[in-house]
Amino acid sequence: MSAQPYGLIATFDTASSLYHAAEQVRDAGYRRWDCITPCPVHGLDTAMGLKRSIVPRISLCGGITGFCTGMTLIWWTGAVAYPLTVGGKPLFSPMFAFPISYELTILFTAFATIFGIFVTNGLPMHYHPVLKYEHITRGLDDQFFVVIEASDPKYDRTATRALLEKAGGRNITELEP
Amino acid sequence: MSAPATTLPLAPAAAAVPGTDACANRALMVGLAGIAVTAAGLFVSGARIVASAWLVGVTYWTAVAIGMLLWVLIHHIFDASWSVVLRRQFEHGLAAFKWLALLFLPLVLASLFYQTDLVWPWMNPAHLLPEHKSVASDLLYQKKSAFLNVPMFLGATIVFFLVWIWLSARLRRASFTQDTDGDTKWTTMSRKTAAFGIPMAALSLTFAAIFWVKSLEYHWFSTMYGVWFFANCARAALSCGVLITVWLLHRGDYRGIVNKNHLHSIGQLMFAFTVFWGYVTFSQYFLIWNANVPEETFWYNLREVNADGSDNQWKFVGFFILFGHFFVPFLLLLSYRFKVTPLILRRIAVWILLTIFVDICYNVLPALKDASGDPLPFLGPALFWSATSAVGVGGVCLWAYLRSFPTAKLIPVQDPRIGECLTHHE
Repeated sequence: MSAQPYGLIATFDTASSLYHAAEQVRDAGYRRWDCITPCPVHGLDTAMGLKRSIVPRISLCGGITGFCTGMTLIWWTGAVAYPLTVGGKPLFSPMFAFPISYELTILFTAFATIFGIFVTNGLPMHYHPVLKYEHITRGLDDQFFVVIEASDPKYDRTATRALLEKAGGRNITELEP
Repeated sequence: MSAPATTLPLAPAAAAVPGTDACANRALMVGLAGIAVTAAGLFVSGARIVASAWLVGVTYWTAVAIGMLLWVLIHHIFDASWSVVLRRQFEHGLAAFKWLALLFLPLVLASLFYQTDLVWPWMNPAHLLPEHKSVASDLLYQKKSAFLNVPMFLGATIVFFLVWIWLSARLRRASFTQDTDGDTKWTTMSRKTAAFGIPMAALSLTFAAIFWVKSLEYHWFSTMYGVWFFANCARAALSCGVLITVWLLHRGDYRGIVNKNHLHSIGQLMFAFTVFWGYVTFSQYFLIWNANVPEETFWYNLREVNADGSDNQWKFVGFFILFGHFFVPFLLLLSYRFKVTPLILRRIAVWILLTIFVDICYNVLPALKDASGDPLPFLGPALFWSATSAVGVGGVCLWAYLRSFPTAKLIPVQDPRIGECLTHHE
């Protein structure tokens, strides 16, 4: 077993005790840490000091790419690669390029959103040290956890433990990497 | 527990806010002034121009009221929770219907007793079309005459207003009575009202748009017209909902009631219906452009070129609608921050209300033709009288809303979903 553990895990019994503990960890300036809850806790993102996700921006980029792809596709196929007049219409018009551009905007936005969610969540992830913790399945049932990673610049074995204790955490345990 | 996340940045309530009664009286004065100025326009621009402009004003505010009716019905059919607070304001807005019916009456009376083809040319069989034949001898009119005739128009208009007034009365009574007795049977009753009210409202608004606006150019065909009008109704009512919400936030009434997630939800609906309006309006244009059939394209040609081939002002109005009514709100409403900041959302709502006015003008006013059959320009007396009509009718609608406002509690305190509404979260 390596000298440096993955981090510290602390147990909380109620959503509100977890919420207030998260506020204290946030205010202590920690960056690499997380909460594990069996249910969504509304407002926890604010208590943890999380900013809004960047996924909408990735979606927007996907949408713009899709729109430009659709317009370029219709222009290139209809006016450059194989110019053919159909129904007396011009070789290219944004009019008839619009439906396909609109569809591709939606398609590429969806792809970018899924891709963005995967990337920002670090997926796919086949192993996580927290899974080795013997009581972790209680986090799917009735208990709440705060995990502070040792890679956090502010991590200090005794000070971090003291913070979690002060915040009301029980069973503070070191996690194997 | 989410209180810190949801407080809205607001100026402290002003020391002396004018009472609702004072506001209502002021709105009525503005409305009557608008009506008086529009009436004075009869002596300046003539009855035909002012009548069409009056149709713009009445149609615009009827669209707002229909939109409010639809949102209340949709709220009930989905058993929605977040919009309970907003619903109450829309219920007050529904008080405007009976006044709108009264304000529509001059158009009917003028068409019946003053000049039959004052607004709608097809009402007069002897009306001469630009191609120098009468309406009665026009094959397209003959084919459509079973639908487009004066008794049908009058009957339908009366039925539509009765439907809207009756649905509104049912919804208002159920909601306002529940404030006092807290009986959930009122919620069930409104849900039933919604179940049959939605198809009734959908059909009536569609045929109202066809009779009042589309039939101005009765040669035209478009299957999207009712949906176009519906999209504008929904957007107009949502925008008015934003104005009311931000007003009540600033006055302090909504302190601790409306949080930023309510604004986010309204903003999302505004965004959705911006896209919907764009989809429908583009579809109408695209199908006509693609099929290229003269009976359909003439409607857009009128709004682009004059008979001599020169561009007319309506072409630029069309572009303004494309960008101002779709792209600008679409891009602005993509932003989360814009949706949850009351003052920014209010600005977007005002912009949308303005562009809907231009959209209605674009659909109504080109029916006014000069001697050579070209539409009268956009920037002209008709636009001015349309604006005064919109102020006049709008003042009366606002007065009706403000007069209803103190007759019920600020929010439906006994609604079964009020708790969920007050804690609305993402």
